[in-house]
Amino acid sequence: MATLSLQNVQKSYGGLQVLHGIDVELEDGGFLVLLGPSGCGKSTLLNLIAGLDDVSAGDIRIDGRSVIELAPKDRNIAMVFQSYALYPTMSVERNIGFGLEMRGVNNTERNAAVKQAADLLQISHLLDRRPANLSGGQRQRVAMGRAIVRNPDLFLFDEPLSNLDAKLRAEMRTEIKRLHGRLGTSVVYVTHDQIEAMTLGTKVAVMKGGYIQQFADPQTIYEKPANMFVAGFIGSPSMNFVTGTLTSDGRLARFEAPGVQVEAPMSSGEIFGAKAAVLGIRPEELKIADSAGSMLTGIIDVVEPTGPDTMVTIRIAEQPIVARLPPRFFGRVGEAIWLSADVRSVSLFDAETERRIPLGTE
Amino acid sequence: MDTGSHLPKTGMIGELSETRYWIYLLLLPSLVIILLVIAYPTIYGMAISFREMRLTRPGLTGWVGFKHYIVMIDDPVFWVALKNTVLWVTFAVVLELGLGFIAATALNRNVPGTGIFAVLILVPYFLPNVVAGHMWALLLDPRLGVINDVLVRIGILSSYKAWFADPNTALAATIFVEAWHGFPFFALLLLAGLKGIPYDLYRAAAVDGAGPIAQFRLITVPMLKSVIAAAVILRVISLVNSPDLLLILTGGGPGDATQVLSLYAFQTAYKDFNFGYASALSVVMFVILMVFAYAYIRLSKIGQE
Amino acid sequence: MAATRRSRRMAADILTYFVLVSMSLFCIGPIVWMFLTSLKLEADIVTQTMQYIPNRITFQNYVAIWTQSSFPVLIGNSLIVTLITIVVCLATGTLAAYAFSRYTFRGRNALMLGYLVVRMFPAVMMIIPLYVVLRSVGLIDSRIGLALAYTSFLLPLFVWMLKGFFDAAPKELESAARIDGSTRFGAMLWIVIPLARNGLVASSVFIAIAAWNEFLFALMLTTGQGSRTWPVGLQLMVGEFQLPWGVLAAGGILSILPVMLMFALVQRVMVQGLTAGAIKG
Repeated sequence: MATLSLQNVQKSYGGLQVLHGIDVELEDGGFLVLLGPSGCGKSTLLNLIAGLDDVSAGDIRIDGRSVIELAPKDRNIAMVFQSYALYPTMSVERNIGFGLEMRGVNNTERNAAVKQAADLLQISHLLDRRPANLSGGQRQRVAMGRAIVRNPDLFLFDEPLSNLDAKLRAEMRTEIKRLHGRLGTSVVYVTHDQIEAMTLGTKVAVMKGGYIQQFADPQTIYEKPANMFVAGFIGSPSMNFVTGTLTSDGRLARFEAPGVQVEAPMSSGEIFGAKAAVLGIRPEELKIADSAGSMLTGIIDVVEPTGPDTMVTIRIAEQPIVARLPPRFFGRVGEAIWLSADVRSVSLFDAETERRIPLGTE
Repeated sequence: MDTGSHLPKTGMIGELSETRYWIYLLLLPSLVIILLVIAYPTIYGMAISFREMRLTRPGLTGWVGFKHYIVMIDDPVFWVALKNTVLWVTFAVVLELGLGFIAATALNRNVPGTGIFAVLILVPYFLPNVVAGHMWALLLDPRLGVINDVLVRIGILSSYKAWFADPNTALAATIFVEAWHGFPFFALLLLAGLKGIPYDLYRAAAVDGAGPIAQFRLITVPMLKSVIAAAVILRVISLVNSPDLLLILTGGGPGDATQVLSLYAFQTAYKDFNFGYASALSVVMFVILMVFAYAYIRLSKIGQE
Repeated sequence: MAATRRSRRMAADILTYFVLVSMSLFCIGPIVWMFLTSLKLEADIVTQTMQYIPNRITFQNYVAIWTQSSFPVLIGNSLIVTLITIVVCLATGTLAAYAFSRYTFRGRNALMLGYLVVRMFPAVMMIIPLYVVLRSVGLIDSRIGLALAYTSFLLPLFVWMLKGFFDAAPKELESAARIDGSTRFGAMLWIVIPLARNGLVASSVFIAIAAWNEFLFALMLTTGQGSRTWPVGLQLMVGEFQLPWGVLAAGGILSILPVMLMFALVQRVMVQGLTAGAIKG
């Protein structure tokens, strides 16, 4: 168990800078998710933590000790790869025990440790097999067994679930959460799947273009996205954006667009008149309202029942938004509809910088 | 200490491999060899072409500038050899490509037994030049050759023919032998190319109403273009550069009927020990080849991959 | 409709077999004829009427080439030269191929291209300076000198071929091994090379066949018994002693035996490496 601290970590290949000064702190026993689209630098960052690649500038500390001069083998970390990276020529047992073998742990201890890890992951019956004879889920478990058997300071996961089908992925996600709870080892977990980030992370760093867009706990990232990229990346279906103008008298902010009117308390006391802004509302926060006092007025465009919910696409003066409404929805395409949401759940962004404008009690 | 099945420690090299010098350590041994047996000789060889160097006359030495190149312009053998090289390479490549294509298409149908046929068809490519040369000399022998015998029996020839001794047939005969020796190379590459064409393309074309000929023209040929282009350039290079088979079969004769540039250069070095002129000949060959390769790659656009 | 389709398919299959059988005969026939010739008495070779199937079978041609000429010495020299070539290629080329496959570094592409351009050098252009250089360091007419000369065109080929096989081994395996506690060198030695062993064998065999068969360099760079290889020896015997056809055929068969044997052993993997290397090249 250990803390992890990334301080102004930078990485360039030739003239191309792929990571721009990353700062992250992870508490002992924490679960850090690096979340972002492909090419955002999250896997590069993980490789730097593992020592598979060298940092160009900055420092990486595990338990307060700088590790950037250490080879991967000396960092006391374990890693689970997207392709599992099981050694094809070795049995499952030797795969799991390979790290201990390389460290010169004697046979008795090694066998005990392998057996314990295998029991924990319910793969004891597979120990004699070769990786080629395992299913995707079993390989995943072996890869995790190889990581936990060494009892490392830090687990690194590189998109470990993305090669699994949807059902198995949900199952293994739960398994990882259970393991983390039981072992309490700090984890760094790379994914592009926002559900994995939300369910597993104690801290989430949303990345794009080599920058951290927001670093916070999952709930904050969901409720108070720092910018429009984070707001759009987290949540499914993604957050609705409506462009309009924002005015503020210092106490009350007023957002207006054709068919839209929202008022929210302004905490900063900032005063401005008619500035271009974007309103963000999550589909699941929208509720049907009366025509009087509604936030949004529009025309029903598409109705898609999914079973537990009904997804309704609504045109508000040519700007489409999606609302997640209860299953028994009787509105028809072409009819008018009025919607509203808790004002504490909406976000406002500066249209130019795309940054969040703090509201209410923030 | 327990004696478990531990892999041996990798020691100092292991520790070195974790430093930034690792990559240079990996490259160093081969680079030393390459510098020693490739880079230095190449530069030296080009230099020799501007010098007088005859091992038979040790006194004759020193820089002569472009003398050898100027001599070459007035050397009738050079021009004959150049013409023969073009003929030899062109016909051999066309023949090999044609045979290779037929073989590859047949092999690609994957009828039972294809594996054995593929191995048999590949065998000539691995046969040493010396053996291939003498074997065909035997087969085409003017007195004992089985091919003459067969041709006379089925009535194509009226009497045995001295294929390699007749200036009219010598070049054609050597091209035939070369084609036998080299076509498996094309068969191999074209087969790999054919296997790389997604079968769905043919299904889509068939659904769209394209017959076998249209499929061949619209799918097979365009999809194989880059493989054909690559195979042709590799083969041209090796045909221009290696005189082995001609050296064994005809030695350039009769007269200069089968004299090609590479053979002429080799004989100038091996028989006359005139290293200066031989080097000049091979430098000219290399330059012609480079120009050809550059133009060819530009035209066929294989360089983009 | 169905019947015509079936008959059309059948016709295509028959045509395919016709092509495959005749091509195989075309390829193997000459070798079979050489083999038959090697089993004939000289009197049955030089006859008025051609003998297609030998009337009398004899092994005296094989005995003759093996006992009455320097053929065993030539074969021995070829073996040694081939072995040295393989050892040098394996020792240096494996490391280079691994570097090309695993790392990006300044000058990598230029170096790889350079390895390819070497193929375009005319043999004579290399032979002359190599002759002069080897003579000045006393390696002319030596097996080591000849093997070194072979590496000039075989090492680049070996590196290209092997790189393809290394590329096929996932990079994440090394990362996993390094995290599990091995060094880069250890990961290469215990994880990647065992995975690519088929490729190593196939590339080595390819190099071995090329070295074993090579004629031109050997002709120029060897002058005496001490280092002369079998292709040169056989060629010179034909010229100097008017070698009888039967004996020549026997020598040919003996000398291609190892090639055919090695080819048969690894043809599948080698073909795969050859096509990959050539298509990429």
